[in-house]
Amino acid sequence: MTDAAAAEPADDQGQTRDLSNARDMIVCEEVSKWYGDFRALDKISTTIKEQEVVVVLGPSGSGKSTWIRCINRLEIHQEGRIVVDDVELTNDLRNIEQVRSEVGMVFQQFNLFPHLKVIDNVSLAPIWVRKKPRAEAEEQAMAQLERVGIPEQAHKYPGQLSGGQQQRVAIARALAMEPKIMLFDEVTSALDPEMVKEVLDIMKTLALSGMTMMVVTHEMGFAKEVADRIIFMEEGQIVEQGTPTHFFENPTEDRTKLFLSQIL
Amino acid sequence: MTAPTTHERAHQRVPLWRDVIVLKWVAQVFLLVVVLSTMFFLATQAGDNLRARNIVSTFDFLERPIDIQLSEGIDTHPDTGARALWTGMVNTLRISVAGIFFATLLGIVVGLARLSDNWLVRRLGSMWVETLRNIPLLVQMIFYFSVLTTLPRVGLGTGPINGWFHISNKGISMPRVFIADGFYQWLMVVGVGAVAAHYVRRHRQRIQDETGAMTSPILWGIGTVALFGLIGIFVHPMFTWMGGIFGAIADLLDSLPIIAPQILFSVVALGVAARWISRFLTDHRSVRGHLSLSDDDWFRIAFAALASLIIVFVLVRWTGFSSWTLNSGRDLFHVLEDKFNVDGAARPFDAMRPDIIQKSRFPNYGKNGLTMSIGFAAVFFGVVFYTSAFIGENVRGGILAVPKGQSEAAMAVGLGRGQVLRHVVLPQAIRIILPPTGNQYLNLLKNTSLAVAVGYSDLVQIGQTTYNQTGMTLPVVAIWMLFYLSCSLSISVVVNWFNVRMKLVER
Amino acid sequence: MSEFAGLGANLGMSTGMIPITAPPETPKLPPREWVKANLFSSPFNSVLTVVASIIILAITRGLMSFIFNPQRQWDATATNLRLLMTQAYPEEQYLRIWIATAVVFTLTGLSLAVWRAGSAVPLSDVGRRLLTFGGTIALLVLLAPFSVRATIIWLVVAVAVAGGGEALRRLVDDERTMSTLGILLIGLSGLVGSLWVIPYGNHTFQLHRTPRVLAEPGTVALTTKLPWTVMLLVAVAAYFLGIFIRERLPTNAPRITLLLLWLLMPPTLLYLVLRDPSFDMGHVLGTDIPIFLVYAVLGGALLNWLARPSTGEIGRIVAALVLVAAFAAFLTPMRMIVRLDMLVLAAFALAAPTFSGGPRARKNYVIGWLGFLGIMSWLVTAINTPSTVKVPGQFFIGGLSLTLIVAVFTIVISFPLGLALALARTSNMPIFRLLATWFIEFVRGVPMITILIFFSIMVPLFLPPGMHLGEVAAVIIGYSLFSAAYLAENVRGGLQSVTRGQHEAAEAVGMTTSQKTVFIVLPQALRISIPPLVGHCIGVFKETSLLAIIGLFDVLFIARSVMPNQTEFMGSTKENVLFVSLIYWIFCYQMSKASQRLERRTGLGER
Repeated sequence: MTDAAAAEPADDQGQTRDLSNARDMIVCEEVSKWYGDFRALDKISTTIKEQEVVVVLGPSGSGKSTWIRCINRLEIHQEGRIVVDDVELTNDLRNIEQVRSEVGMVFQQFNLFPHLKVIDNVSLAPIWVRKKPRAEAEEQAMAQLERVGIPEQAHKYPGQLSGGQQQRVAIARALAMEPKIMLFDEVTSALDPEMVKEVLDIMKTLALSGMTMMVVTHEMGFAKEVADRIIFMEEGQIVEQGTPTHFFENPTEDRTKLFLSQIL
Repeated sequence: MTAPTTHERAHQRVPLWRDVIVLKWVAQVFLLVVVLSTMFFLATQAGDNLRARNIVSTFDFLERPIDIQLSEGIDTHPDTGARALWTGMVNTLRISVAGIFFATLLGIVVGLARLSDNWLVRRLGSMWVETLRNIPLLVQMIFYFSVLTTLPRVGLGTGPINGWFHISNKGISMPRVFIADGFYQWLMVVGVGAVAAHYVRRHRQRIQDETGAMTSPILWGIGTVALFGLIGIFVHPMFTWMGGIFGAIADLLDSLPIIAPQILFSVVALGVAARWISRFLTDHRSVRGHLSLSDDDWFRIAFAALASLIIVFVLVRWTGFSSWTLNSGRDLFHVLEDKFNVDGAARPFDAMRPDIIQKSRFPNYGKNGLTMSIGFAAVFFGVVFYTSAFIGENVRGGILAVPKGQSEAAMAVGLGRGQVLRHVVLPQAIRIILPPTGNQYLNLLKNTSLAVAVGYSDLVQIGQTTYNQTGMTLPVVAIWMLFYLSCSLSISVVVNWFNVRMKLVER
Repeated sequence: MSEFAGLGANLGMSTGMIPITAPPETPKLPPREWVKANLFSSPFNSVLTVVASIIILAITRGLMSFIFNPQRQWDATATNLRLLMTQAYPEEQYLRIWIATAVVFTLTGLSLAVWRAGSAVPLSDVGRRLLTFGGTIALLVLLAPFSVRATIIWLVVAVAVAGGGEALRRLVDDERTMSTLGILLIGLSGLVGSLWVIPYGNHTFQLHRTPRVLAEPGTVALTTKLPWTVMLLVAVAAYFLGIFIRERLPTNAPRITLLLLWLLMPPTLLYLVLRDPSFDMGHVLGTDIPIFLVYAVLGGALLNWLARPSTGEIGRIVAALVLVAAFAAFLTPMRMIVRLDMLVLAAFALAAPTFSGGPRARKNYVIGWLGFLGIMSWLVTAINTPSTVKVPGQFFIGGLSLTLIVAVFTIVISFPLGLALALARTSNMPIFRLLATWFIEFVRGVPMITILIFFSIMVPLFLPPGMHLGEVAAVIIGYSLFSAAYLAENVRGGLQSVTRGQHEAAEAVGMTTSQKTVFIVLPQALRISIPPLVGHCIGVFKETSLLAIIGLFDVLFIARSVMPNQTEFMGSTKENVLFVSLIYWIFCYQMSKASQRLERRTGLGER
């Protein structure tokens, strides 16, 4: 996977790439979801191409997190269709397993397994889900930890690491499954300001390596710099989407303008 | 999950053996079948084995005469099995209620002792707790029992305080105050007093709120009740007319056909289920009328409907239950009628001193005093001491769990030590203390069943005698379990009610 | 203590936690000020002190005069010690008891070493303890109704102890420490050594021909002091062996082996050592071993195939079919072992796709199956083989041994049951949840004695004709079900404290529900539940006393109903029951102290 990505020439930062010929990685058709009375997702339709980096913005409670959690079926959508890498998310056990092992996810609260060492956190899933021999899995786990820059912490427990380091372990844990898509759910929100950069840097590198990424974040700098497309959501709907240039410089919708004026 | 997804987009049909929903329900139904068939198998085996031994398990023994003599209780020579078991239940409840009351008192003392500033008191408290809770209750009970049995015989003119307080190998006897004929009328007067006290308290509280003067509303409330109690001793015959009302209700219940309670209970069951389902549906319906129900929700609805239907079915098929409710309701009101139909000369209370009578060679306690037999005393001291250790730990833990900042903040605004305890620490601590203490009450109730080892006639002991005589083991065990389950349920309902109240008060 | 601490360490619990330092102790005051601050700070406090002193003095005085009353028949306990411990286990077979004890001591010694149990305490602390201890003895002696001579002797002892403590406290600087294990060893050696030196008197019950009591002056019988000396030496030797192993092997291997040995110990000791089954070799060779071999080969092949990652859904369907077949087999009349094996095979088959992987993992899985199958076959055979040990009574052993056996087996059996119940009660499957909730609430709502009576009387009725179950086994089953319901509630608290994020993270990396449960949820939940679980074990141990009510010869029954009926010791109930409560108290107190230490170490009890 990484090899394939490295073969592609890296795009210039912030420039829109032409991805029109790329494969569809995630297809959402009129996806809706309710929590009781509350409509969390309202007919979301969009397509995300291979290698595309999509940043989802929006005020809190707008359904961003719900949406990306639907994509690896941590939440179950009630109407519409989600197809990930040609596999539709239904009640089919095989499809769910396949999608989950192809989609990596990083959480706001890290959610590392506190009773396992860092190396075991990273290698657990490859051993038991991908059924790899332990030695091989641990070797790859070390490689992933090197990729996120903390191989020396491999034999510590998560509780002994700083927030930034924990989040990097969480990224390594997701990458160890060799996913085709990475989902990031406000990964920097729970971090102290001085640790945000180390996590964002890794995400940038990952984006440059050609990973398909969906990022829910409040980091506008990151969005401007890395995103191929920005999706703005409010009240469970996609209000506006477009390139960073379009989005930040001349947004068309009033709600987007209001949002931008509040945060910038 | 909802209908639209699977119906509109049928082009990707999920094979049954891979559908998570199907698998989930198949597994559950499989387990249900296994459990039910195991139970069925065991029941058949038990039936066959019992038939082979010529035992037919019925509840007939409840109606038949039984030869049993009890050491104590409301009826020491019960004429039927039902009466014997009923005596046992009353004995169990009696010792449980007394045990709960005294264990709570002692437990609070122990808990406070363990928090005391005084080193010696603290030590004493922890010695009490560490000793008592680490020795099995049964061992303690047997020890108390064996000590009590070796006490000196009772004799005329003995006892620590002769004529007032006796300790001997026949038990402990002391003066008693008991309910006399006029008690229930008197209780009505006190009830009126309680209503009055409520208003008096509110009034005093308003005065305090308005003027800021300390009016001690709670003391006034208590005083009002006490005043009514005092007056009630003289005026209680004025409530004698209530007997007639209860009699009329009893006659009404007697004239009702069996179908009446059947209809009533069925309507209640169906109504409750229907109301629950409709509320469940409105809770799950969005403003726009969209209804999203998961498979679990469907199960809940189906279960509620099924449960109500089963209740109706049982009511229709088992007429015994309905006639039993009618009869016992009638009996209850007749009893009430009797209690109120007493002449005006009756007193609400009476008091007596213990007496010792000598019929044969050995003297024994008479009927006047409040006598704890040694069986009762062994169980009573056992459960009270044992439970007090646990309740003491709950009290201590609860008070310690209130953050120090709370009392510091209260002191900072100028409240005194007592006020801090009463207004700040205790309200928070009680919320923490109550749930585990409720559990201890449940344990105490269940632990009284150990009385069988020291010969106190509680439900288990009488049940054992009963099935030894009649061979009806299964019915007796069923009655035991039913009794303890309903008692446990009642205690947890009461404790939960307090819990909810406490939480509401807090917010 | 060592087992529980070890369990934690093995699951990777002990090191992953932020160490919690004890709060700084309040500076020690000089005695006079301490007394003033703690006992006489206010008039009310002074009154309390006086009242409490009176209560303590009265209780102590009462207890001492109760114990040292010349009417007390302490000979009853001294003579009947063996009866209290093992009931009427035959004298000539007694070596078996000592072997069993030695095994327990060996495992304890090894575990203490491998888990690095024990800590260092400052010598000045030890000195302070000795000082208090000496003072307490002196107080007790003064309150006891002793003769002048005895009082003087005991006072000298007390002063010596206290003086030694004070000397230690004064002379040794604060830095010097001593390991708790060392103190324990000194204490035990002193105790065992005293058996050889101090004339406790030789009390025995001669059961041969005419039963008579033998109480001679002198030290205790050689049959008592020699084995205990050997036991102590065995434990010490095992400890050093453990250190040797610890230094030479990686951490985890000896720990896992020891845990397995601890698990295997109860059935092995009970059925092979204590019970001495007379195996019918013809039957074993002709029936048991062939059945084992058939299942080993066919089941092994099936599991090896199922565990292949490439097998896919077909494997799951086959496993489900095996389960259905196992239940169908249960309804057909076959040998019990055949049906049981089938059921276990089905369980292994269902778990195969989840817990398998590469060739090595597959091999381990099949080996696990073979091991489990072998142990189960052997156990079932041993249980069904009559014992050569014959005693009057329903069970071949009684007294404290029966109490311990029932407690240990109940805990071991109820642990998986309770775990399953807790998982069912917290699962998202409504029928599982409903069944588990009903069962738990039902069992928790009725007293244990009713359940014990139900099982001891009713179980024979539930069995199909031709099947027999001893009363002890029936009671253990009933007790395990009872205990499982309470255990489930303890574990449920732990399960609910595992955050939603942990579940989601496990799902997001693609784990199945069972993998999530085994690797992520249970380890965390169990760690949190350790203190309540230890409390649960104490409860189980205490409640074994209820066996006396249904007439099993446990230690309480012997003390209450057997010994007071011996002609020599008529009516000695009080003494015996007091002795039994001392036994229970020592066990329970030690366990609860251990759990408190554990709680403090994991910081659960702290605010």
